[in-house]
Amino acid sequence: MAVSAPALGDAFAAIVGGEHLTTAPSQLAAAAVEGVPPRWLARPGSLDEVGRVMSLASVEGLAVAPRGSGSALDLGAPPARLDVILDLSRLTGVLEYVPADMVATVQAGVTLDLLARELCKHGQMLALDPYGGGSRSVGGVLATNASGQRRFRYGTGRDLLLGARFVQADGTVTWGGSKVVKSVTGYDIPKLLTGSLGTLGVIVEATLRLHPVQPASGSWLFSFTSREAAGSLAAAVLASSLEPERLAWLNAGALERVGSERAEAALAVSVATVAEAVTSQGALLGSMASRLGARVSALDEGFWTRVGGGLASSTVVKLASEIRRLPFWAGEVERVISRHGLTVSLVGEAGNGILRAAVEGSVSPDTWAREIVAPLREALAAEGGSLVVERAPLDLKRAADVWGPVPETALAVMRRLKTEFDPRGVLNPGRFVGGL
Amino acid sequence: MAYECDMHTFYKGAPDVVVLPETTAQVALLVRLCRREHVALVPRGSGTGLIGGAMAPHGGVMVSLTRMNRILELDFANRCATVQPGLINLWLSQATRDAGYYFAPDPSSQMVSSIGGNASTNAGGPHCLKYGITVNHVLGLEVVTGAGEILSVGGKAHDHPGYDLTGALVGGEGTLGLLTAITVRLLHVPAGVRTLLASFSAIDDASEAVSAIVAAGIIPAALEMIDETFVRAINEGVGAGYPKGAGAVLLIELDGPAAEIEAQAGRIVQICRDHAALEIRVAQDEAERALLWKGRKEAAGVVGRMSPAWILQDAVVPRSRLPEIMREVQAIGARHRLVIANVFHAGDGNLHPMILYNDLEPGELERAILANDELLRACLTMGGSVTGEHGVGLDKASSMPLQFGDADLNFMARFRRVFDPDGIMNPGKLLPSHPACGEGFRPSVPRLPAGAWV
Ligand SMILES: Cc1cc2nc3c(=O)[nH]c(=O)nc-3n(C[C@H](O)[C@H](O)[C@H](O)COP(=O)(O)OP(=O)(O)OC[C@H]3O[C@@H](n4cnc5c(N)ncnc54)[C@H](O)[C@@H]3O)c2cc1C
Ligand SMILES: Cc1cc2nc3c(=O)[nH]c(=O)nc-3n(C[C@H](O)[C@H](O)[C@H](O)COP(=O)(O)OP(=O)(O)OC[C@H]3O[C@@H](n4cnc5c(N)ncnc54)[C@H](O)[C@@H]3O)c2cc1C
Repeated sequence: MAVSAPALGDAFAAIVGGEHLTTAPSQLAAAAVEGVPPRWLARPGSLDEVGRVMSLASVEGLAVAPRGSGSALDLGAPPARLDVILDLSRLTGVLEYVPADMVATVQAGVTLDLLARELCKHGQMLALDPYGGGSRSVGGVLATNASGQRRFRYGTGRDLLLGARFVQADGTVTWGGSKVVKSVTGYDIPKLLTGSLGTLGVIVEATLRLHPVQPASGSWLFSFTSREAAGSLAAAVLASSLEPERLAWLNAGALERVGSERAEAALAVSVATVAEAVTSQGALLGSMASRLGARVSALDEGFWTRVGGGLASSTVVKLASEIRRLPFWAGEVERVISRHGLTVSLVGEAGNGILRAAVEGSVSPDTWAREIVAPLREALAAEGGSLVVERAPLDLKRAADVWGPVPETALAVMRRLKTEFDPRGVLNPGRFVGGL
Repeated sequence: MAYECDMHTFYKGAPDVVVLPETTAQVALLVRLCRREHVALVPRGSGTGLIGGAMAPHGGVMVSLTRMNRILELDFANRCATVQPGLINLWLSQATRDAGYYFAPDPSSQMVSSIGGNASTNAGGPHCLKYGITVNHVLGLEVVTGAGEILSVGGKAHDHPGYDLTGALVGGEGTLGLLTAITVRLLHVPAGVRTLLASFSAIDDASEAVSAIVAAGIIPAALEMIDETFVRAINEGVGAGYPKGAGAVLLIELDGPAAEIEAQAGRIVQICRDHAALEIRVAQDEAERALLWKGRKEAAGVVGRMSPAWILQDAVVPRSRLPEIMREVQAIGARHRLVIANVFHAGDGNLHPMILYNDLEPGELERAILANDELLRACLTMGGSVTGEHGVGLDKASSMPLQFGDADLNFMARFRRVFDPDGIMNPGKLLPSHPACGEGFRPSVPRLPAGAWV
């Protein structure tokens, strides 16, 4: 039998403590997700409390949105329903960290910055550098499978999450994976959770694989007067035995935003290794680039933060294509978008085939859906790629599905997974692919 | 009969029929037939598994994928290849070497094991310290699920919207479906390789050196440990010329830009000296490098010289506990009056103690089983894992509750059911009690009685 709202509020307060439950309408309005305000905002202080909140929500058939730092709550389709925001920001414990094992177990609310401060004392790092900085929570970064340029060398959350303690929709506390760097015991549940946008479970603790900070690093910008030449350098680097750490593609708009000199296209490359090898790899890169007519300038580390800032825009689209097609798609995006009087700054991961476009200017929802998203999406899909709208004003989101279609058979399996683990649609309902 | 077991010859169970399909469509037809008739289905690659995975305890149909062994596409510009499951691991690196590429996962069985088997067991190998295990190299899969669907997930382009089914299917050990095509990452051959061999008088010193190397921020491409018993057997068996009388040998390989491996090799030599290394050899050319590796690579082959029978363990400990667990291994051996020989992936903390016993001597097998069990439990007590690379199979299904709680196993059982609703795929493997009846996992007897093993 359904419990009345005030009684439910009391029940949540009994779990997390009255001071950690928000019910004031003004505060709830401020916590709205895509304009939908929650009825409660609960800040549990422990794993057990997360479990009890979920269990109550599930019994009552409430919709719950987990929240880390709240920076990307708009990712995905607008919520179908929303009752509870489960705020994990009090869970900031670094539970286990043995530097010699290069593994750390942390609570989901720990921010990347906080973790980085802990790890750098021992010359180590979590090699996840999503755009937008270090104030993001580990749980949010994993749930959205967010990554940045470093993935070229170190992989994504998928490769770095060894184990996870999570709470299922019905409140069951569950563990998947292991706490060691190498384990194949049972199904790889952490991979299932990574990027699942909190639709299968709430990640509460994560065991992460760490890497040593290299003793030296160097970064260079190679600017070109043509996209083709920049593409040739990217291809040459990838076909060589050079081992860059990051390989970023920038178009004219992105160069302007990060304050670099004008060019049609540029490639920013970093290497991180021992000092001797930084020098020798830099020299090799330089000679490859100058043969292709590049202008070379040295970059400081701050450049890599500015590249992320270059994507701060109310509309951001992410394209994934084959690696070798990235220069082509960069041209296509510029062409399609500029035709509508919009400007675009493009930042690509030249080693992974990922392109992000920050779009500026006003466009009607109809034009957006029919003349920008649909044609790009269809052409990409024909090559096995995808286009995701990572951020956009609500009217644009309503006009074109943010995720795009998922092949029927795969979607059927995803539906079965969602039905199996969240039959009542408690966790982030309606926000993920295919309306999951 | 050739199909009654994999390389874990303890477990025998012959299928009623063996089918060797040539196309994905044939595989799908087979699965649908088996589903309709409620017949068990066991996928099999090269049968080199060490876990009783590719054998049929419940009879049924075995699907051997050896005829599906072609390279479907090599795409160097996208640094990937698509292959059929039966392709032998090493063939892929051989086919790509001239273009400057290779396939990083390198189980010691790479000359014979299949890429489908590697992806299904999520195989590791000496070089996964730096490069990760198979799952880190699988970009996409075509799979026929236990429900009979032909499912394509992942691919050359990264980050497909939706759940990471590719990642969750790798390591499925044939319990979720049959892999019929696999798109894998190719890596560029590194600019340089440097291989070192350091010998120590005691395994303790060698273990400490492993920790110190990693603590210095160096991730070698490989960091392998060979103990005294194996050094002796390898020297006698394959003439690898390892230092005589060494209590332990570390085989260390660095790869990468020349200046990087040069500098790191210098550091490593210093660290080994600091940990009382008796001798350090650095391979000067490819021939010397091959000789240093020869002993390690052929270690499995020399076991027969040491003992008529053995049990191989594959548990993992956190790297920092290596010295401690090695002392424990010795203590367990002494307690059960058995020789335990070790050759393993030290950099990952992935142990491979080999418990030697004489099957003609009454009681020895029972003691070996006890010792094996104690070893596994010791690793788990230190925060380790039941298996590092070989997988669970039939062998370790009953050990799963040692590492996971009921809720965790239940989650896995339900995950399995999403792909295999009728429980026809490789029943009895990976999970302690097979949820074929449509219920979730139910805790079973924690261990098979010793006698039932043989
Ligand atoms: C300016 C800007 C630029 C960005 N650029 C990029 C980019 O280039 N690449 C990229 O990959 N990402 C990018 N992002 C996204 C962002 O980096 C990540 O999505 C972010 O790390 C989310 O962290 P958070 O703690 O703020 O999560 P939140 O915003 O709090 O939550 C994000 C989602 O994850 C769910 N969630 C949060 N915590 C958990 C948990 N513990 N368990 C289960 N589900 C949970 C939420 O329900 C929500 O759906 C950008 C974001 C911003 C603001
Ligand atoms: C001498 C020796 C050294 C070894 N060294 C290593 C090592 O260093 N690292 C390591 O990880 N392993 C090692 N192994 C174990 C073994 O080689 C690996 O587990 C290998 O990945 C198995 O491949 P396979 O083709 O022989 O598979 P099989 O033994 O035939 O099958 C293994 C499992 O995968 C399933 N399977 C096989 N093919 C498919 C498919 N196409 N679709 C779905 N399921 C499938 C089977 O049902 C079974 O459960 C070694 C084995 C030997 C004998």
